[in-house]
Amino acid sequence: MAVDERKKSVWKRIGKQKQIQTFVWAGLLFLFVFNFVPMFGIIMAFENYSIADGVKGLFTSEWVGLKYFREFVNDYNFFSLIRNTLVLSLSKMVFTLPLPILLALIINEIRSRLVKRIVQTVSYLPYFISWVIVAGFCQLFLKSNGIVNNMLISIGSIEQPIAFMTGKQYFLPIAIFTACWKDMGWWAILFLSAIAGIDPNLYEAAEMDGCSRLKRIWHITLPGIKSTITVVLILSLGNLLGGGLGGSNFDQAWLLGNGGNSEVSEIIQTYVMKIGLSKGRYAYAAAIGLCQSIISVVLVFTSNFFSKKVSGDSLF
Amino acid sequence: MANYLATGRRRKRSREDWIIDTAVYLLAAIIFAICLYPFWLSIILAFNEGTDARTGGIYFWPRKFTLDNFKNLIDDPAWAKALLITFFRTVLGTTLIVLFTTTVAYGLSFVNLVGRKVYMSVMIIAMYFSGGIIPYFMVLRTLHLINNFLVYVIPSMLNIFYCMVAISSFQGIPPELGESARLDGAAELTIFAKIILPISKPMLATIAIFTAVGQWNSWYDCAFFTQNKNLRTMGYLLMAIINKASLANQSMDAYAASAASSTVTTMSVQLAAMIVAVGPILLIYPFFQRYIVSGITIGAVKG
Repeated sequence: MAVDERKKSVWKRIGKQKQIQTFVWAGLLFLFVFNFVPMFGIIMAFENYSIADGVKGLFTSEWVGLKYFREFVNDYNFFSLIRNTLVLSLSKMVFTLPLPILLALIINEIRSRLVKRIVQTVSYLPYFISWVIVAGFCQLFLKSNGIVNNMLISIGSIEQPIAFMTGKQYFLPIAIFTACWKDMGWWAILFLSAIAGIDPNLYEAAEMDGCSRLKRIWHITLPGIKSTITVVLILSLGNLLGGGLGGSNFDQAWLLGNGGNSEVSEIIQTYVMKIGLSKGRYAYAAAIGLCQSIISVVLVFTSNFFSKKVSGDSLF
Repeated sequence: MANYLATGRRRKRSREDWIIDTAVYLLAAIIFAICLYPFWLSIILAFNEGTDARTGGIYFWPRKFTLDNFKNLIDDPAWAKALLITFFRTVLGTTLIVLFTTTVAYGLSFVNLVGRKVYMSVMIIAMYFSGGIIPYFMVLRTLHLINNFLVYVIPSMLNIFYCMVAISSFQGIPPELGESARLDGAAELTIFAKIILPISKPMLATIAIFTAVGQWNSWYDCAFFTQNKNLRTMGYLLMAIINKASLANQSMDAYAASAASSTVTTMSVQLAAMIVAVGPILLIYPFFQRYIVSGITIGAVKG
């Protein structure tokens, strides 16, 4: 009886809210189609699936189990794909995290309010342009008679221009540099707002005690933004394979990668695109993609776990 | 914003202050230059004769000023069409995303909404997990969105992150504002459109700006979800040129070979295209940059 009563009142309450419930359900329907159906669609990785069958094919295709995963492990690209993905992700992580902190500290030490504003505004401009443009800039600066080659020749450190864009040993430095260039100012905003929240009395007290400016940065500013650093670190760990903070691995590998440097620039994400959409091997590509997703999910949960432990914050 | 350095102004600057200030200003100048110079160099080279630019030595100012690169671009029907497509997708996409996302957010902003906890969990799961690009492609294909202009605007209509931002913004509005209209029997959609949206303009502007920039810059959906030449966006055309050019030697110049008398080169037209692609962003940047800081800090609070 009591349960019935409550059930009734729930339906009554929903009835009263039917307008706002409709708004929300419109959103949920959208998520079902564009997020949850694809999540379910991952079972194509275990099937002899043909894209021509559409969503229906997921139910009718022949089950092949781990066939495609075995094929991936035996793929002659397997080790280089895993290595390239990890090397690109980790090295970008190492550089893109400390630089915004450093930039925020530098901007914070500028005395003139106007200069401070100008430098900050300019520093996050690159965040708003697309990776396509960044790749265009790279070409412009690094071409055989571009500024970088001209400069290196004029100071005499090289005699022949270097083919930066196609040399495989240059891909990683270019990727790291451009990732820093593009996202440094953006993430510095976060650290600057954290610095602004530090109690100014702490600085005054430290100054009275004869604490030098560098020491104040080291003992007050940095500890003051520690929790922000933790949160950003965890966020970027969760998206490590996507390219960390900026999530730029795919764009970089696709736009800066070419026949000359593919040995180091081909990562799992670009390989999935080439195998799936260009070669039409959808089920195999989905299996490769799933391998990366599994690692990513593990990373999201691990970083969330540490986040809860370290800062008490968690993403979910 | 209180600046702790201001407290030091009364006393004399020490030697340490001089050293640190000099270093800070020097670094700030370097950062300023590194961030802006690529834009500047592209602009001056886009306004310079391409054949002349190939001889090098242009760093700060155009040597042989010309508009030919841009003329060449506009005369190319592919670029003119791409510009139009990009413009339309930006306008339509931004409108759809902002309206749909905030409508859903409005519903979710009611704390007494039945099932709210479940709905929010569904949103968060959708935010962090995905089936990957291939199953996503399958869904788009089943819905006949492949090779369809709508693929640019429909699949991105609900942005969960902006939805969270909008929810917290709506929850900051006093509930009494909509209550009297509700008692008069106004529909929720009317209350939302006539009362809630008008007072949420700064939040709407923030979401709209980020969405518009994303739409304008996008090349991914065009490259992988369409093969139709009539649907090419600027981002895609640029991507195609740049990908080809990094392999091709600069001396194998398609434009120069086709018209010996012309001053344009592949590189100079590419630069003109890049300027057309970043131009609108650079032009509105001074006006929208005040929304940016609020944008990232709302996002950070939600973390």
